[in-house]
Order: sequence, then C-alpha cells, then structure tokens
Amino acid sequence: MSSYYGNYDAVNTMHDEELLKHFQNGIGCRVFILSPSFPFMFIGEILSIVEDALEIFVETTHFAQLENRTWVMHIDNIEVFYIERPGEPRIPELNDLQ
Amino acid sequence: MLKPNESKEETKLKRDEEGKDDNKEERKKEKKDERIDHDIDKVIQESIETNQDKDIKDDFFRGLVGLIGEEILIVTESAQLNLLGQTFRPIFIGPVVEVERGHLTIFPVTIKILNAPFYQFPTPLSIPLEKIAHFTPNFDSDTRFPLV
Amino acid sequence: MIRRYHVVAIPIRIVVNNFGDHNPDGRMYVLKENESKVKELVRKNPVTPVELVQPLTIRANAGDIVEILFENQLPFAAGMHFQEADYNVLTSDGANVGLNPSSLADCGETILYQINTTNEGIYFFTDLGNVSSTEEGSNIQGLFGALLVERRGSWWTDPETGEALNSGVFADIHHPFLPSFREYAWFFNDEMEVDDLTGNRPINSHTNQEAESFHGVNYRYEPLHNRLRLVREGVVSPEVEGEEVHHDSWVFGDPATPILRGYKGDPAVIRLIHGASKETHVFHYHVHQWPRDPNTLNSEILDAQAISPQSHYNIIPLYGLGSLQGAIGDAIIHCHLYPHFEVGMWGINRIFDTLQDGSQCYPNGIPIAPLQPLPDRPVPPSPTIERPGFPNFIPGKVGCKAPRPPLGIVGGREMTELERNAAVPNARPGAVFVDSCLGNPVVVEFDVSMIELPIVYNKQGWNDPKGRIYVLDKDLDDVLSGKKEPEPLVLHIPAGSCIRMNFTNRLPHVLDGDAFQLVTRTYETGFHIHFVKFDVLVADGASVGWNYDSSVLPGETIRYEWFADTELKAFFFHDHLFPVSHQQHGVFGAGIIQPRFSQFFESRTGEETDHGTQVTVRNPIIPNYRDLSLFIQDFALLFDKDGKPLQPPDFPGSLADPGVFAVNYKNEPLQFRLGEDCDPAYSFSSFVNGDPVTPILRAYEGDPIRIRLLQGAQEESHSFNIHGLKWPRERPSNDTVLQSQQHIGISESFTFEMEIPRAGDYLWAFETEEDIWNGTWGLIRTFDLEVEDLIPLLDRPLPPPRTEPLPIVTGKPPALADPQSTLPPEVAHNAPIRRYRVVAFQTPIIYNSYGDHDPFGIVFALEEDVEDILSGKKNPEPLVLRGNVGDLVEVTLTSRLKFELFPFQDGIHPYPPVKEQAFYPPSLRISLHVNLLDYDVTTSSGDTVGFNPDQTVGLGEEITYRWHVSANVGTCAMWDVADLRNHRSFGTFGAFIAEPRFSTYHDPYTLESVKAGANVIIRNQFFQAAFREFVLIMHDGVRLVDKQGQLIVDPLAGTIPEADPEDLEVDTYDFGSRGFNYRSERLINRFREHPVLRDLFSSKVFGDPATPVFEAYPGDPIFIRLTNPSERRRSHTFHLHGHKWKFDPRELDSNSQSFIGHIVAGDAQDLLIIGGAGGRFNFPGDYMYRSGNIRWDIEQGMWGILRVHDQIQQHLPPLSNE
Repeated sequence: MSSYYGNYDAVNTMHDEELLKHFQNGIGCRVFILSPSFPFMFIGEILSIVEDALEIFVETTHFAQLENRTWVMHIDNIEVFYIERPGEPRIPELNDLQ
Repeated sequence: MLKPNESKEETKLKRDEEGKDDNKEERKKEKKDERIDHDIDKVIQESIETNQDKDIKDDFFRGLVGLIGEEILIVTESAQLNLLGQTFRPIFIGPVVEVERGHLTIFPVTIKILNAPFYQFPTPLSIPLEKIAHFTPNFDSDTRFPLV
Repeated sequence: MIRRYHVVAIPIRIVVNNFGDHNPDGRMYVLKENESKVKELVRKNPVTPVELVQPLTIRANAGDIVEILFENQLPFAAGMHFQEADYNVLTSDGANVGLNPSSLADCGETILYQINTTNEGIYFFTDLGNVSSTEEGSNIQGLFGALLVERRGSWWTDPETGEALNSGVFADIHHPFLPSFREYAWFFNDEMEVDDLTGNRPINSHTNQEAESFHGVNYRYEPLHNRLRLVREGVVSPEVEGEEVHHDSWVFGDPATPILRGYKGDPAVIRLIHGASKETHVFHYHVHQWPRDPNTLNSEILDAQAISPQSHYNIIPLYGLGSLQGAIGDAIIHCHLYPHFEVGMWGINRIFDTLQDGSQCYPNGIPIAPLQPLPDRPVPPSPTIERPGFPNFIPGKVGCKAPRPPLGIVGGREMTELERNAAVPNARPGAVFVDSCLGNPVVVEFDVSMIELPIVYNKQGWNDPKGRIYVLDKDLDDVLSGKKEPEPLVLHIPAGSCIRMNFTNRLPHVLDGDAFQLVTRTYETGFHIHFVKFDVLVADGASVGWNYDSSVLPGETIRYEWFADTELKAFFFHDHLFPVSHQQHGVFGAGIIQPRFSQFFESRTGEETDHGTQVTVRNPIIPNYRDLSLFIQDFALLFDKDGKPLQPPDFPGSLADPGVFAVNYKNEPLQFRLGEDCDPAYSFSSFVNGDPVTPILRAYEGDPIRIRLLQGAQEESHSFNIHGLKWPRERPSNDTVLQSQQHIGISESFTFEMEIPRAGDYLWAFETEEDIWNGTWGLIRTFDLEVEDLIPLLDRPLPPPRTEPLPIVTGKPPALADPQSTLPPEVAHNAPIRRYRVVAFQTPIIYNSYGDHDPFGIVFALEEDVEDILSGKKNPEPLVLRGNVGDLVEVTLTSRLKFELFPFQDGIHPYPPVKEQAFYPPSLRISLHVNLLDYDVTTSSGDTVGFNPDQTVGLGEEITYRWHVSANVGTCAMWDVADLRNHRSFGTFGAFIAEPRFSTYHDPYTLESVKAGANVIIRNQFFQAAFREFVLIMHDGVRLVDKQGQLIVDPLAGTIPEADPEDLEVDTYDFGSRGFNYRSERLINRFREHPVLRDLFSSKVFGDPATPVFEAYPGDPIFIRLTNPSERRRSHTFHLHGHKWKFDPRELDSNSQSFIGHIVAGDAQDLLIIGGAGGRFNFPGDYMYRSGNIRWDIEQGMWGILRVHDQIQQHLPPLSNE
C-alpha cells in the first residue's frame, strides 16, 4: 500500500478516535445529539464511552415512552451534536405542560 | 412529569467514584474562550502536541483550522434530520469557532429549514469531521438561495 | 407464473339492501364458475341481497402474467380495461381507441386479455365499450371490479372458513415470511339506478320527496330513509328522531353494507376503489390513521382520503386494527359527504377481542359468523360467561337506542359486572375498555359546550339565525354577549398529551324549521374527533353499530379522553348524532397537535392561550411560527338582512346543494366589491373596498407559518390556492413536490408549512368559480415594519420600527405596480433573462371539427401570433410559456379587450350558472397570475390584492412581470385574476413549465427552436439528452354553441343516447362544456353520425379527435405536464391507459400509479412516464388519456390520444436523430 492510501485510512481513524476522546472529555456533561435514525434527537448526560459508542442517560427525545433511560449510541450515527460546558450556551429546557 | 429514576443516580455515583480525567480540567480551561479572536497558532500547536502519531499529516484538519472565524456553509451526510417533527436538509451556515481533530463547531448556526431558512439554533453545533459531506468557505448567512 | 381467469359480464338484478331496494338493470363481472350459481341465487332471492353479487375481486401476485378470458353476455360490446397493468395496448386495452384494433368483445363473443402484474397494487378494471352516463351505460350500472396484486409468494384464504379463495371482496393474505393480513376491498359507487320494492324511484320518508341518488359500497347502501320507516311504524323505538340512530345496530340490527371483521391488532389493508361515476367522495375510517403513500414513511398521516371516480388507494392502518391504543368495537367507515352518508354510504370495521368460531350470537340473536384468526398471530381468548367479548358485555336492549357509556356522563352510571370484567384496570371516564393514553403522560383538560346563537357572516348582513358552535366554557359569556366574535373553536395541544374533554350540551332540544330545513328534534349531541387515539366504545362521540351512544342530552356533561401520541396535524371534530341537520350551522372545530414543548400566544397581545384560529407558537428548539386555521363551509344556510333565504332548496330538508359558502363563518362576496368604477379588477383591492371580513393572517416578513386547512361542512369539493407562496406536499419529506394548491373534501385536514420571504398582501382563496364569487377568500398580510398589535417572533430579528403610516382605504384604484423596481426574493444577481410579450384579446375558439365553438373566447397569445389567430390562420390554443431553473422571466402583458365583444355585459351568465349572480360588468383590464414560481407579490403576482399596487393592465397600458424560476417545479398554472367571472371560463388561462437548467425547446416536427406551445421536445445541453413534453390543460365551465349558433347546454346535451327525463337535476358546478387545450371531442357528435357505442373512440371510423393527439416512438422519454386552471368545483380524475408514473415525482420510493385524482382549479402535476412511451414494455399503439368521470366528462369530450408509432414516420423525427 502506498503511503498516500495509508495516510487516508489513518486520517479517518484519527478523526474517529479524536471524536471519541472529545466525548470522553465530556463525560458528566449534558449533550444534544441529532441522528438520521429514529428517534432522531437525544438530550441527556454522557455517562461513558464503550468502544466506539457513547453511553448516554437520555432525558428527552421525541416520545416520552423512550425517555429517562440509558441509550448506547454508535458514534458513526451522530450527525451533529453539542456538549454543554459550564459558562457556555445552555441546551434549552424542554418541559411538557404540567 | 419526570419521575425520579434510581438507576440514573446509581450510574452517576459510579462515575463520580471513578474520578475524572486529568486532562479534562486543562481542556475546560482552554476551551472556555470561544470568541472569534482565538489564537490560531495556539490551537495548531496544541493539536500537534496532543496528537499521538506525529507522522500523520492532516491537511484537511489544518485547512479547517485556517477557517476559524470565517462563515462557512457546511452540509452533512444524511438526506434529512428531524427536530421534533420538523424535518430539514442538514445544511448549516455560520462562523467556525472551534476545530479539533475529530470535529468542528459553528456558532451561531443558521439551519436552512425549508420553511424557516434563517433559523438560528439556540446553541452551538458540533459536526464530526467524518460526517462532513462538503462545505464551502466564505458564505454569507444572509444569502437567500433555493433549497428544493 | 401464469394465472388464468374466465370472467363473464352479465346483466343481473342487484339488490342493495334488506328493504328490497334494487337495480333492475345491473351489470356485473363474475367468474364463469360462479355464473350459474349467482343467477340462481338472484332468481331465488329477488328482494334480499346476495353475497355473490358484489364487484368482482380477483387476485394475483406481483410478477405474474394474468390471462383473462372475457365473455360478454351483455347486449352491447364490452371489455375489461385494466388500470396499473402493463399490457400490449393493441390486444389487451379493453377498448377501441384511435387506430388500434378493437379489444372489446361483441355480444356473445369472448376475447383473451393478457396483462403483466409487475407491481403490487389495485388494478381496477371497467368497461369502455359503453360509456353512456345514463341507465343504458355499463360502468354506471355496476360493471367494474378489481384485480388485487399482492406481493410475490402470497396466497389467500377465506376469512370465515380458512379455505382457498378464487374471488371475493374479503380475503386473508398470507406469505412465507411476511405477516398475514386482512384484505378488504371497498368499492364506492354512486349514481347507479335503484328502484324500491314497488319498482319506483325511492322516496325519502322524512321529506316525502324523491330520495338522493344511490351512493353505496360494494353494491350496497343503508340509507336513513328506509330505517326511519321502521321508527315511524313503531316497529322499533318510536321515541327516536331518526338521524341519531341511523347507524345503531341495537335499534335496527346490522346494516346490509360491508362489515369488515378482524381481531384486535390484526394487520389489515383496505383496498379503497372508486368504481363509478361522478362524485368525489371522502373516505373516512374512525379510530385509525394511515400514511398517504404507504411506500414511504416520509408521508403525511391521514384519516380521511378524497377519492374521485376511477381512482384507488391502499389504506393501511398504522399499528393494525384498533390502532396504537388497541381499541375494540365498531369503527364506522363512511363517505364523509353528509348527503351521501345519510343516503347510506357507510359500513363498519368490527374489531373483536374474543375468538369467533360461529358459536356466538349478536345481542339480537343473529349468529356471529366464524372468523379465522390470522395464522401467525396469537389466538384471541375464547368467550366465557364472565367475559363474553364484544358486543355481548354491553347492556343494551334490542329494538331500543344504544345505552350510554358507564362512567362518562357526569351524574351517570357505574359499570355493570360484565362491563367491569371487560374494562381495563384503571378504567376512568372516557377510557373504560382501552387505556387510551398508554400510561400516564401529561394531562391537558378542556371544558367545551355547544351553543346556538345567531351569526352574522358579512357586512351586508347575511346571517344564520341558528348558528351552532363549540365554545370553551370560559368564553361562553363573551361569545353570547357579542364581546367575542364567533369563530370555529381551535384548540392547541402539544404532542404527547393526554387530553381530557368535558363536553356539555347547551343546545335547545329542537332545531327550528324554515325554508331550508324541516323541524328536527336534535336532542342529543356528542363530540366526535379525528386522528387522536381513543376508546371507540365510549368516546367516539357517536352511536355506531353495537357501541354505546357516547353523546349527551341538553344540560348534561360527558367526559372523553384522547391521546395525542404524535404531532403534526389538526384533528377535526364535530357532532356525529345530527351532523346532516346542524353541522352546516357551524358545528365543527379542530384541535391542533403541535410539536412537543410548544407554547401558544395570542398574536395581537402576546397573552398565553390554549385556543384560537390564529396564534403564535413558540418552541425552544424549532423555529417559532404563526398558525392559522381555515375552515371552508358550503351548504351555509344564510338569510339576507331582510330575512330572505339565500339559495333555498326546492323543498325544506332537501340535500341538493342548498345555501352558499363561507370560511370561518365569514364571507366576502365579490358582487359587493365593485367600487365606484364597477371594475371587477379591483374586487380584491383593500384600497378600493377595504379589507375583507374573512380571516387575514398577519405576520412579519420572514416569519415561518403553518396553515391548517380543513373543511367544516358539508358536501362539496373545494380548491384552496395561495397566490405567491408554495409548500411541500409531504411535510415529513424534504424531497417532495411543491404545490400552491390543494383539493379538499369534508373532514380532510392538511398542514401547509412555509415562510413568507417578502412583505406584502398575499391572496388565499378557494378559487373555483362559484366559491370565490360567493366570498371564500382572504389575505395573508405580511409587514416589513413593526405594527402595534402583532407580536414579533422571538427567535427572529425584530422588525424595524414603523416609519411610515399603514395604508388606508381611498376608494380609488391603486397605482400601477412597477415590477422593474424589485427583484424576486431568491433570484441570483446574474440570472439569465428570458422575455415574452403577451397579449390578451377576444377571438372565437373552435373546439372540434363538428363546429362546436366559443364565439366569445378570450385568449392569451404571444404578440407575434396575434395576427395569425385573428385572421383565422391559427386556431387558438392556451398559451404555454417556459423558463429554465435560474431564469428571470420577464413577461410583458397588454390588453386588447373590447367591451362590446362580451356576451353578458351585466356579468350575469344564464349559462353556465353560478349561485347568487349579480351585476358584475366585464372588466377590460387583464392580468396574468402564475403559481409556484418565485416573485415579489407586490409587483408580479398578477393580481391586485389588499394594499398591493395594481398588477392588472387596461387598454393602452402594459406591465412587465418578473418571475424567477427558483426550483424545478415543472408545471405551473397561469390564469387571469382581473375578472374571474367574465374572463376565466372563456379561455384566459394557460401554463408555465419550469424546465431544468440548460434546456432548450424545440418543435417536435421541425426540430427548430420554439418560444411556446403545448407539444415540444426539451433538449438538455449538459446531459445531451432529450425528452418529449406534452402539456395538457384540463378545463371546464365552457360555454359553447354549435355550428348553427345554438347554445349547447352540457352536460345533458352531450349525454348518449340522450338525457334521461327523470334525471335532469344538475348541480351548478357540473354545467358547462369541458375538454383539453380548448378542444373537446364530444361523443354525441360522433354518435349522431354513426350511432355505435363501441366505435366512439375509433379514429378508423371518425378520424382523430380534435383534442391533442401526442405522438412518440416506443421508449421515448416523455413528460406529461398536466394542469387545471379553470374553473368549476367538480373535481376530475385523469387517467392514461397503459402507462404509470410516480405519485411524487421527486420521491423515488413513492407509489406508482396511472391516475391523478381530484383535479380542480389551480392543480399542477408532472407525470414522468415510467419506461417512456409505451409504458414499461414500450408497446406501440394508441393510448387514450381521459377523465375518469363517466358522469359527465368522457361523453362531453374530455379525452384524447397518445400515439406511439411502431415505425418511423416522415413527419415526426425520432429523438435520437439530432
């Protein structure tokens, strides 16, 4: 394999690894995630990293029946996200009516 | 009404007990400053330092770093995304405020929703580099263009 | 696999219910093996329905080749024409079209058809040998059926016995690795000839006049008027009024109409088919919802589907029978058009919770036929004494009204022991036998009452003295005192909520009689809802089958519980006990299930609210928007300010289109908006006439909006258009077509989501002729600067403070608009410019070779063609312009109209008629409006609306519109808005086609460049490819005279062999001639020359029709651009033989079909023909394109030919040879 192609694989892998590291650093923080797969949106707290997946305690998604439980999310399926850190813009509060 | 969930408490305690990552404190300090006048050299330097394999060239990453402060239009892979039933093509426009080897962050981000093409999302949005389909730099977020 | 069927067409007596109503001249298809059996059964049962006498339903699998040996025992040539199938048109079309050999069978003859069933679907078949719309016809007398094509590998069994099945409307479909499901064929048909037991036309015992025509399902109908006789005779509970118990099986036993049986949770499909022949029905199925396009999940969810003649849909209820909540009981299925509902177009979906093996009986002793459980599902529990299962735990008395539900009524009763055994553990008011809310989600509670009060509809004092509306209890005082204007109640509820409704009946016991209606004792009323999840037994707000009667008496309150599981829709609500009597008085409203976490505010004050037709919605993570609900009404029974009834029927209680129209209890008829100059061009101008009293949606520039379109009452089709805005058809998908128009029937609900790019006034209108004339229009007013009483959206930049005053009424026409001073919102700065110069002028139009013509035609043409047309060298065709995506199109328009050339100079047209005609002299001004393109609404919308400048032109003036082709929207309709009454039906319309970038347009015969035209070749420089484009402009309401100058009063003048003297009642919107592209090949002309029904479409006998004959070679890529810019409210189906296209041309996963349904004014469609000319297999031959309405389109000339040549023709260069 030429070094060009070797670098290509390595770059992809590095991107993925660095992303995992970024989430690792966010353990304990709130996170907002959009995924093309049902149920499409997750808001919760990052619990841990499991290989190339994220363990999240999900507070809010589209349907109440799927909330307040742990989801394990494949990192390849996370399209956009936002990790909320102290002093930075807050993920909006989402409350059903009382 | 949210019901208290025991397992969440349990899990949380576990995490606290295991302790936090040492690097995390450092990172938090450094990332606090998300303003546009970020020190580019510092970012590149840090990336080089923390990058374990110094032999991997990543010009893509460097290119992105060069865009910090500029407005880009960026499209991600999926056909569409879904926010509480509001579907939209994943087209995002805004200034790049953060670039790391795994992702970049835009804030404030305009999402080109079909019926609200100038909607600004309330938080920054981070995009994994591997999820980028394509992007174009120097794009004015006030530009009106067809979406269909 | 080859499947063979031998099918016979026979004359037969069709008995349609247990009262002996029957069709003595029925015609049906039947399998040969059943022929003698069915004839024998009918002979032995002359006055009761025979099970075998139902529309023929046969089955095959996708990928099969089906050979049908067709035998004709009818006294005229007949055949079987299949929709959706792929076949050789020369041998298996089931018709005799153009230059094809006939594929009909003469009397006594047989013919072999061979068709390929390539895709799953409903392959509807009917006869085209006899297209008469009278009792002599075939399709109208029952000659239709369907070949249902299942997935490869399927087989089917009888649901009662479990044995193999050759034909039949109900079957269980099985498959080796996919779930088994129940399949129910549901054929609507209307207008079939029906006599009662005495051999006369049925009489309605309520009005003592002739009953409405037959409207039924699977050759059955169960009208109120028969059942009412039993009440009047005292056979059953005599204390009832009638309408409220129409569907009550406790009183009358089960109906003769179809009962679709299944177990809770069974997967099911209803094959919905409109067999014949005139009306557009709305299929509504209680309790259940389904995706509009079952092939893709990115499709809207519906619970009501409009269906026009010879169309079909697959209704696949989400979550199976009983829906998400697992409801059991009787879910009524019916046509929602109230006159049809009352005359018997309904049936029941009966969902059992216990095993039916034939040993059980209904409460009236009739045995319950066995029902095989589906083999791959759990067997339901057997009935026991303690838990007998539905309906035997319900404490009703046979012969008496259904009982009221336990727990629901305040002060009502507790459960009996049997009910308690059948109930869920946490049974509560409104949710007893099903846990509707699936747990304990958030609760939202409403207190609503129904009241009666007079309502004023417009400034001239048109009013309904007996308005009946829903009101929140907390608003009762304000509404009754006049402080708050009555409007339809619209509730706003976030998704995921459990809704508790406390409903109180505050109506008087009696609805008074008047010119419109007989006195009716409307003593009970309920709250029936669509779309949300509920326990049908106790919360349906109706009285159906063996269910409870979930309504209340005056003064009582009943509690319902509903679950809004997911969002996105406005759910319709109304009364289900006396809707025919009082829904048109205003008894309708909606609940909008908004996105989760939303909050709602009054747009004027910013106060938080939970109801209102116009609100502002705020949400933390999706864009905020304005929400407007519009309810179109017809049969509005109004009186003028002097107490004179407006459009009363021939007799009180008649359902033959009484009354006028309104939107949200308001109307703004055009006759009152003539201004000082009496120029119709300013009818919509607020400068001249002030703002209308109809709803005005108010927003700021850039605001996203959602429009909820509903129909409150009562029967008709309507066509909703917005000028200058467009929205995606399928909200969940980003890859869907855009539209600016929507057909709507009663109970349908649509949500249109869009943003408003530019400030100005946008016209919304129900734009068919009679509707808009009578005031069904309003505005969307968008401000660029701040106004005091409109809160801004908080997630958008604030509007700049107001620096100029708002415009005011001047009484004078506004200044002429200057389109050159602005650009369309989305145009690029360096867009290529394409220019057209268009003239509007009067000239006769010849509609066919028999001399039928319109001497008063008004047309648009390119300036360079005007002389040729005026001199007679060219027969006018509707103007078709084009532009490529990205083009800025500049259209310069001038008017050469002359007052003396108008036929009716006071604007009152004796024919075609329209309700409430009044003085409205023709305008000499003209305009050109186009839909779907991008333009500044204040200069280039082609109308003069609200406080916009004048975009019409008069003599000596010219205007240059600027339109930007922003997207590949394909067909766009174009029409004049300066005078919708005196111009439109005479020809002031055309089409604009948006082509892909880099396209060039060419004449198909000379290959030279062309500027306009309906028949072109489009070449693409980039792709080096070409396709043929055929533009079909469908239109109606035309006034023709014959060669001798005699007026032709269609449709009756065109009926073959002649109009039935008993059948002369024609609705206003059926009047007028009709055709394609200013041409109409009326069959009566052909019939007079050569009175042979089977030859009427043959070019060998008559030559080609005057309507467009499009030509192509096999495999040529072809695009059909179809639009209907004008003008009546009768909706049409479009069908092309032998070809198919995608339901949504942008969505690869969407359904394919061979028809376009419910086409009305403003509709624009793009048909990308799968496989190219000749269909998938590229068979050469003549393919008929036509309307699907036997009554009254086909005879009246709405058909033409697509000719696919088998050999190269001198005059037609092949596509590749360039």
